This record gives sequence, C-alpha cells and structure tokens, in this order.
Amino acid sequence: MSPTRSTLKSVARQLRAVWMLLLVGVILSIASPVFLTSSNLLNVGLATSVVALLAIGQTYVIILAEIDLSVGATLGFSSVVTALVLRDHGLLPALAAGLGVGAAVGLVNGLLVTRTRMPSFIATLAMMSILAGMTLQLTSGNPVAVTDYDFQGIGQAYLAGIPVPVWIMVAGFGLFGVLLARTGFGRFVYATGDNHEAARLSGIRTQRVKILAFMISGLLAALGGFILTARLSTAEPTAGTGLELESIAAVIIGGTSLAGGRGRLIGTLVGALVLGVIDNGMNLLDVSPFLQSVVKGLVILLAVFLDRNVDALRALIPRRGPSAPPGSSAPDDGLPTVQPTPVPTLDPDAPRQQSAGVPAARPTP
Amino acid sequence: MRLRLQDVRKSFGENSVLRGVTFEVGPGEVVALAGENGAGKSTLTRVISGAHRPDSGQVLIDGEPVTFKDPQAAMARGIEVIYQEFRQNLFPHLTVAENIHVLDRERHFGRLLVSKKRMAREAQSVLGGLGMDIDVRRSVGSLGVAEQQMVEIAKATSHDLRLLILDEPTAALDERESQQLFQQVERLRAEGVSIVYISHRLDEIFQLADRIVVLRDGQVALNTPTAETGPAQVVAAMVGNAVDDFYPKEPNSRDDVVLRVRGAAAGRAFHGIDLDVRAGEVLGIGGVVGCGRSSLLRALFGLERFTAGTVEVDGRPVRLRGVQDAIRHKIAYLTPDRGAEGLCADLSVETNISLATLRRYTGPADLVRRGRERSACGDVMARLRVRAASPAVAMSSLSGGNQQKALFAKWVLSGPRVLLMDEPTRGVDVGAKTEIYRIINQLTADGVAVVLVTSDLPELVAMSDRAVVMRQGRVVAELIGDRLDEQSVLEHALVGAA
Repeated sequence: MSPTRSTLKSVARQLRAVWMLLLVGVILSIASPVFLTSSNLLNVGLATSVVALLAIGQTYVIILAEIDLSVGATLGFSSVVTALVLRDHGLLPALAAGLGVGAAVGLVNGLLVTRTRMPSFIATLAMMSILAGMTLQLTSGNPVAVTDYDFQGIGQAYLAGIPVPVWIMVAGFGLFGVLLARTGFGRFVYATGDNHEAARLSGIRTQRVKILAFMISGLLAALGGFILTARLSTAEPTAGTGLELESIAAVIIGGTSLAGGRGRLIGTLVGALVLGVIDNGMNLLDVSPFLQSVVKGLVILLAVFLDRNVDALRALIPRRGPSAPPGSSAPDDGLPTVQPTPVPTLDPDAPRQQSAGVPAARPTP
Repeated sequence: MRLRLQDVRKSFGENSVLRGVTFEVGPGEVVALAGENGAGKSTLTRVISGAHRPDSGQVLIDGEPVTFKDPQAAMARGIEVIYQEFRQNLFPHLTVAENIHVLDRERHFGRLLVSKKRMAREAQSVLGGLGMDIDVRRSVGSLGVAEQQMVEIAKATSHDLRLLILDEPTAALDERESQQLFQQVERLRAEGVSIVYISHRLDEIFQLADRIVVLRDGQVALNTPTAETGPAQVVAAMVGNAVDDFYPKEPNSRDDVVLRVRGAAAGRAFHGIDLDVRAGEVLGIGGVVGCGRSSLLRALFGLERFTAGTVEVDGRPVRLRGVQDAIRHKIAYLTPDRGAEGLCADLSVETNISLATLRRYTGPADLVRRGRERSACGDVMARLRVRAASPAVAMSSLSGGNQQKALFAKWVLSGPRVLLMDEPTRGVDVGAKTEIYRIINQLTADGVAVVLVTSDLPELVAMSDRAVVMRQGRVVAELIGDRLDEQSVLEHALVGAA
C-alpha cells in the first residue's frame, strides 16, 4: 500500500473530468475556428457561471449524502423577489431580500431533512414544486423587468476584461473550496457524509452541519439568480427550471460520489465547464438545441460509467511484461474473480451486537 | 434417532469452528445446546439446516445420511430453524396469513387467483392448533416481537415438522412471553417433534431440556441428561480452562472516585444502577446480550436518556442531554460496532483521529492548522502503535486491530477522565488484542476510569480490577479479587445464583 494511494485515487477521480474537458476542448477547437478565441472562452465562462454556482452548494449537499432538487426553483423564486423589491425599494434591500429568500429556503430544506427525517429527495422535490408555484403566483406568470443600472452590472459589466459573473464564479469556488477543504466545518461535512453515526458519536452536531449545507445551497441559488436576472435585465419566473439537474450533473461529472463522504469542489468546477463547453460547442457547430440535451445526457452516462468501470476497462487493455501491479491483475479467462468472503462473517458464532438503540431483551419492569 | 450428528467438522479458512461433533436427538426430545460465543453453536445449526455443508462427518435423519443442498431441502424433510434474528425471515408488510403460507408453493388457495379467505382460514387453524390467538389479517410488522415469533413458529408447524431448532428464542422476550414460548415447546414435544434449544440462560435450559449438550471450541464438552447435572457443572464445561498469559494487566487503581452513578434508570433497559469507578480502575460489566449493560454505556455517553438517577464526574454532577455534554465532561465512548458507528472509512486515519478534538486545531476563520493536527496525530499514533502506511491513508485500508487502535487514539487525544468501551476487541486478531490491553494499561496509568463491557469472559476477568454483573437491567453481583472468575460471572449472568 503506497502512502498516498487514497489521495492519488481521489485526484484520479477529478482528473477524469479534466481529461473529458480537454478531450471536448480539442475536438471543438479542431471543428470550429471560433472555439479557442478569448471572447468565446469568456462566453463559456459567462454561460457556465450560474450552473457552476448552483453546483457549489449541490456539492456540499451531495458530499453529505443528500440532494437538493430545489435549487432551480429557489433561483427562480429569489430572482422574482429580488426584481420586485428592486423596483420598489432599491438595490441593497433587493440584494438582501434575494439572499434572504435563498437562505430561508435552505433553512427550511435543512430543517425538513434533519428534524422530520424526511429523505432530502422528497423534501426538496416538494420544495421545488412549492417555490415554482409561488413564483408564478407572485408574478402572474409574467417576467419582471429590471431597469436598475447598477444591478444590471452584476451580469453585464466587465472587470479587467473579464465578465463580472466569471469573477463571482471564481470567487465562489475559491471561498467555498477553502471552506470545504481547509476548515473544521468542511471536515465535518465530509465526516457526516461518510458515516453519520460515527460523526455524531464524535461530538459533531451533524444536524447543524446539514442545515448549513442546505443554506449554502440556497444562498448560492439566490446569487445565481442575481446573475441571470442582471444578464437578461428581467426576472423570468421559469428561469431556474432544469438547473437543479444541470447542477447535479456537474457535481457527478466532477467525480463526487452520490454515496457521500467523497468529492472535491475543483472537480465540480471542471464538471460545470464540461457542460458549458459542450453547450457552447454545439451552438458553434449549429447542432439542434434538442439534440444538445441528448448529448449532455450521454456525457453524464459516460462520466459515471468511467467512474464505475474504470478498473474493468483497464483490465481490458493488454499489459506487457511483469509491470502490472498486483492489485490490478485481471482474470485472463474473462470470468469474474471470486471474492473471498470477508473475514468477520466467517465465524457466525462471533458475538453479534443488536442494532444500536434497540435493546435485544426487554426485561420485565 | 430423529437426528444424529456423526463427527461433524467444519472450518472456514484457517478457522476450524466444528472439530468433530457427535450427538443425537430422539423423537419428542428437547436437547439444550449451550456454549460460549464462538463455541460453534450457530455453525452447527447452519450445518443441520443445510445452510452450510460439513467438511466431513455426517448428518443422519431417521438413520439416513442426508446432504441438504440448501435450507429449502432441509425444510422439505421437516427441519426448521427459528433464528435469533427471526424477524429477517418475516415480511413486515404482509399479513400473518400470508407470512405463514409464503413458502407453500404447492398450495395455491384458489384455482386461478389466491383466495385470501381460504388462506386466512387455514392460517387461523394452524394458529388455533397452537393455541394462539392472533388476527391473521393483521400485518406482521404491527405485531409485538413475541407475536412475531409465534408467527414464525406457526410457519414452521404449518408443514410436517420433525425437528425444530430454536436459536436464543427468549433473547427478545420478557418473562411472561417466555413462559408462553415454553408452553409451545412442551406442546411440540408432546406431539413428538424433536427440539434443539440453544440458549445462554441456564434457568431455561434446566426448566425445558431433557438433555444438555455443551459445545466448547467446536467440540462436545458435555452431553448428559438434565437430571444428572447441575448449573455449576454446565458452566464449568462451557468455560473450560482458559489461558491467561496474554493479558498484561497492570493494577493502577487509586482511591478517588471519578465516575459516580446513583439510582440510574432508563425505561425498561436498566434501573437502580449504582456504580463507582475510581481513577485508574477498570470496572468490568458482565452479563448476557440484552441485560442492559450496552444501554447503560450509551446513556452515560448521552445517547440514551436517563429516566432517573444522577451521574457525577470528579465529584461534579453532570447532565447528559447529548454527546456534546458527555464529551465536555471528558467522557469518551468506544462503540461496539466499529464499522457502523465508529469510523469514517473513506476518510484518512488522521482525519478520523482528530475528529473529536478538531476544534483544538482550528485557528482564525475556522481554518485547520494542519501542522499541529499532524503532529498531535503522529504522537498518539506512535504511542498507541497504530500501524498505517501513513496518517493520510484511508481508514478502510487498515486492519481491524489498527482501526480499533486508531479509534482509541481519537479518544486518547481528547484526554478523557472516563472511557466507556463496549466490546473493544471484537473482530480484532489476537496480537492486536494484547496491544489494546496495553493501551488500557496506559490509560489507567494516567488515572482514566475505564468501564469495560465485553462478552469475552476471559478478557473481562483478566482486565477488570473489579466487575459487576447485570441481569435484566439490574446489577446482580459485584465481584472482586478471588471471587472474580469466569464461572461466577456466568452464574450470576445466567441464573443469579449466589
């Protein structure tokens, strides 16, 4: 066992997304002369920024072995609220209201998941539906125009030649990347996602950790809403539809495990860029928008397939000489290797503990 | 003879579990099968029921050697097992009637579709024949444990039952429910069914069995009619002669009491518990699974609520509303189930070790000071001899013993005053066990009060300065010095005899 094997493994997971990004990039730069121009690349960044921000929060939630299906609807709802407050009360109250809505939605999601023990899939699915309906009710289904010049700058201005949304995206990944990888809170996220009981028995307030992660997800959805609204100069009630799935796709392509406990934010950034580049490339190549969705689906399948089957694929590649590491030796006959039964189950007489909290005997009172 | 086992042997890899077992069970005979954990009782059960095949030796039913392909084949010959975890064999969302008839492939209860009425009628008659009054239309999940067990028995008797094996059937039953079960056993015996009754509880064994067979280390240590033996002889046969030279016990007990528990109770799990654990002392708690000792530890760590009583640490009263309270008062807890509750398998060894004390290594903006963390983890890993290729490898890459030592390291780092441990050497190889005992010595030398819950009797006797025995939620004995031996612990745990 080499000392850094687990680190290498985790880096390798991220690298697969990087390879995928490079592969798509090379293909597109050959297929289209426009692709590698700086203005096009900035376009990719601009177009990716919203999904990428949503995917940050989604990464936290997925590392905790939960899921947030409400981010798209949260984005739509907070956008509309922001635009309405902006019209009547000005910039700062609007920003506060938008972020407040995002955080509040996250708080409710977190409370539902931790206090009522509802699966997050259900809780956030319901939240998605509720928010989508409230957004339409609030606006009667009509877009809300935004005329505030400063607010529009969030989506349309440039700083040092780079669009502001790209700066926000970079800052978001920097900040939340450090939070996840370097802080105590980040540790608690990984520990809780890896083994909730073990984390709890180590004194970690796991419920609080989960609530905070859902709140981060809600806040970033609101931030994504600012960017989208500012870019379009209008808050579209249905703007967020489908973005929850895009954000999940970015996280998965980025190598984060849905089982929880594993994943890195840099992978998510690459995953979001893969999706953005594919979108952009297909626009450049004039592929029908209907087919774009098909291609994205295939990319998700490919990413997860590689993740699950990379060892099996490696085994198909013939190796020369004795250089093959013993761990990766594949059965030559194509038959599945018989896994030895794990040692603990070998002795059925070994003392077996009843599951925690359920006393095996009920003594008479 | 209904059942005859002839020199049955079974090993799993290096581990030989059954080493030539021979005994017989006649028609209408109840044979109690006793033995410590690991003696081979469950493996023997699985051999008889066709779940395992013996490496050598024979299983004879009515004088005819049989080799069962699977448990279904054994059932076809009228052999049924009711396992301790029998609830895994029931379908909680189906009705009682459906559960009873779930394996009846040849009977269809109707020409085309299943006739629920006919099914219910037949199930009712099966239950009626056993003198049970359970509504067959209820879902099994809505029944109590005892009723569920009765359904399992009814399921077994709905066929031509010839041999019934009951594995710890009263483990989940209270006194009254147990008596009902005994009546069923008597009834089946009167009908000529052969019964193998596996139990830790000597009082039950002596009440029910015609003959007692004791297994020890995969061999028959005792095989005698119940009338010709007594509890002391059975316990002696179970314990045998233990080797005790790999217990490097050092007495470090001082005078000052660190953990004081008075009148502690938690629902039905335990009640009226008074304990004093001194600095540097190892207090062992003996008793069978379900006697309340594991619940007591969980409650002392804030995982279950006390309904009465007081707890003091170093003379200060402590309120335990949750894990944080326990940790703040320097109480640490090693869980019995390392995989499910102890470790974060995908995270690094270092991350696991620092998890409970991470706040000591975080600085401004909650950033983890990696240098400090690493050096603290490195120190404690060296001190406890946690062997890992590096502190950065995943916890899952370590052996069971080293994982357990890493979990010790997590709590040693927190500087506990009280360390509660439940089955600290379960699933740990022999060499690592001794190292864990040395860690316990180090802790007691530092004045930590240790509470040791273990099913490993030799370990309990060798590593405890003093032991209490719990039975049915109460402390029934305190053993110290010469009186602390395996036989006394077992006697108190099983029968409560003086």
